[in-house]
Amino acid sequence: MDIRRYDMIVIGAGPAGLSAAIEAAKHGVKPIVFDENARPGGQLFKQIHKFFGSKEHKAKIRGFKIGEELLAEAEKFGVEVVLNATVVGLYPDKEVTVKIGEEIQHFKGDSILVATGASENMVNFKGWTLPGVIGAGAAQTMMNLHHILPGKKVLMLGSGNVGLVVSFQLMQAGCEVVALCDAAPRIGGYGVHAAKVARCGVPFYLSHTIIEAEGDEYVTGVTIGEVGPDWKIIPGTEKHFDVDTICLAVGLSPMSQLLDQAGCQMKDTRGGFVPACDAEGQTSVPGIYAAGDVSGIEEASSAMIEGRISGITIAEYLGFAEKEEKESRISELEAQLDTLRQGMFAPANRGKKIEKTEEGIAISENLLVKGFVSDEEIGRFPGVTKQRKIHPVMECTQNIPCNPCQDACKRGCISIGSNITSLPVVDKEHECIGCGLCVASCSGQAIFLVEEDVEPGYGEVTMPYEFMPLPVVGEKGIACGRDGKAVCDCEVTKVRTSPAFDHTNLLTIKVPNDMLMKARFYRAKKEAAYD
Amino acid sequence: MGRIENHPILGASPEGKLVTFYYNGKPMEGMEGEPIMAALKVNGVMVHRYTAKTHEPRGVFCAIGRCTDCVMVVDGKPNIRTCITPLKAGMKVETQYGVSAKEA
Repeated sequence: MDIRRYDMIVIGAGPAGLSAAIEAAKHGVKPIVFDENARPGGQLFKQIHKFFGSKEHKAKIRGFKIGEELLAEAEKFGVEVVLNATVVGLYPDKEVTVKIGEEIQHFKGDSILVATGASENMVNFKGWTLPGVIGAGAAQTMMNLHHILPGKKVLMLGSGNVGLVVSFQLMQAGCEVVALCDAAPRIGGYGVHAAKVARCGVPFYLSHTIIEAEGDEYVTGVTIGEVGPDWKIIPGTEKHFDVDTICLAVGLSPMSQLLDQAGCQMKDTRGGFVPACDAEGQTSVPGIYAAGDVSGIEEASSAMIEGRISGITIAEYLGFAEKEEKESRISELEAQLDTLRQGMFAPANRGKKIEKTEEGIAISENLLVKGFVSDEEIGRFPGVTKQRKIHPVMECTQNIPCNPCQDACKRGCISIGSNITSLPVVDKEHECIGCGLCVASCSGQAIFLVEEDVEPGYGEVTMPYEFMPLPVVGEKGIACGRDGKAVCDCEVTKVRTSPAFDHTNLLTIKVPNDMLMKARFYRAKKEAAYD
Repeated sequence: MGRIENHPILGASPEGKLVTFYYNGKPMEGMEGEPIMAALKVNGVMVHRYTAKTHEPRGVFCAIGRCTDCVMVVDGKPNIRTCITPLKAGMKVETQYGVSAKEA
């Protein structure tokens, strides 16, 4: 049997695998990347939201654009990617068997990088196998890759970032999200992602889980109920929703089977079955490395950096890079990775309840349970100031590693400082000109422009708006609060779009002055109603 | 369930070539090259197969070729993952019962 040899074999053409191959190829390594899918990029092409972080992490760029950049870079450095190629075996002597078409081909690598990512978890309830119960990833695949609707009315289970982001995407695609529930007592993902969903009117049911998916042939409804301290449903708390789709966003598990097969030492952790690796991704088998979600679930941003760390390490291991070169590159990359692992949602804080921000401000309890900061709580955060003239109101209330707003404001109105997780502060000394770049730059869509008295008794609120159809100037509609409930009538006074905003439109509405700190979303009249 | 014609972030969906395929003998239309699953969903087909022992309906779950819940008999071949198999003109797609196209 024919065996082909490569310097470096990468398994998985997602963010980690491609980044590693690029980094190694920059030093002259000739990598080959296998991926079982028909397209490279892993899950990046389904990510249509703007990423968090700072410039070096490609913050405020949408995931699929980052995917395009990565593919262009891979091509530039001559990375060979073989698609529809499923790696079916990995052996301790760095041999790989790959199913390509109907045949198994045999390869040997001087080094191997396993970047197989993760698969979605499932959860059992009555009716969980019915057609119409789908993974949140499936919903993203249908909408963002294949341009079809997963359903009309959807219930989301899971309040981590995946559940929150996909709920928002479902609404962007035109679906109705009837509720978001989670058995946990607190929302797991970023507050800003939850707030985006809540202001669209989606009710959050924390401490609730699915009792039953209803339907004979496919989903026609769902019943959820409140879980007690013993994790059992409290009788009498059942709630029914008519839905055609139930979306599960209940976590991910590393796909580490190949590493186990290759004899790498494995660890059974709370985050899944992962290889024991050092900081450079070296497993217990010399020459076999792991990077990205397969070595522990994080995000695409960190997967790309981990991939690059493994890439330069492999280049040095194979003799293509000098030790000093590797060390300086790694210290640069590790600093980037370290930044992403800061803040309330850092891996070290998983499962902990954080009561106060780094600034000592009490975290919004309402945000953690209902998905939005209440009118009473919002004033205590440093991005929220009261001024008559136009100014940004930054409803950023948790310490997450993200700072594009600071760079977006050329006038110096917004400061985060050198600590990337600090809450943004409004500097009243610098004059806001209402350009709206900060509004569009915020990946969490948490920045609004507020101006009092544009005419007697009325002011204006400018908000990020990523829905269709785009309202037109002069249209009369209803302003909704952070909770998604109607607060007052309003008129659209400005609609701004620009390539610089990257599809985050700026919608300005005119509301009575006393509603300026309440109105945070807009609905056309026909679809909204007062309670 | 329908196609997304225009999306606030992704813009207008790419225009594909409509082709005819056969679902349990009935002609249906789909876009050439899209996953069979997508064409079926647009045509309102939710059930892809029934399990062998308990005759339970199954459909798409993961949509990325991992869970195998969506397999059907395609052009006479069973266990085809419809979520990752591109649609071609004239394809014969049948509900799978256990591992065959006929109810046992």
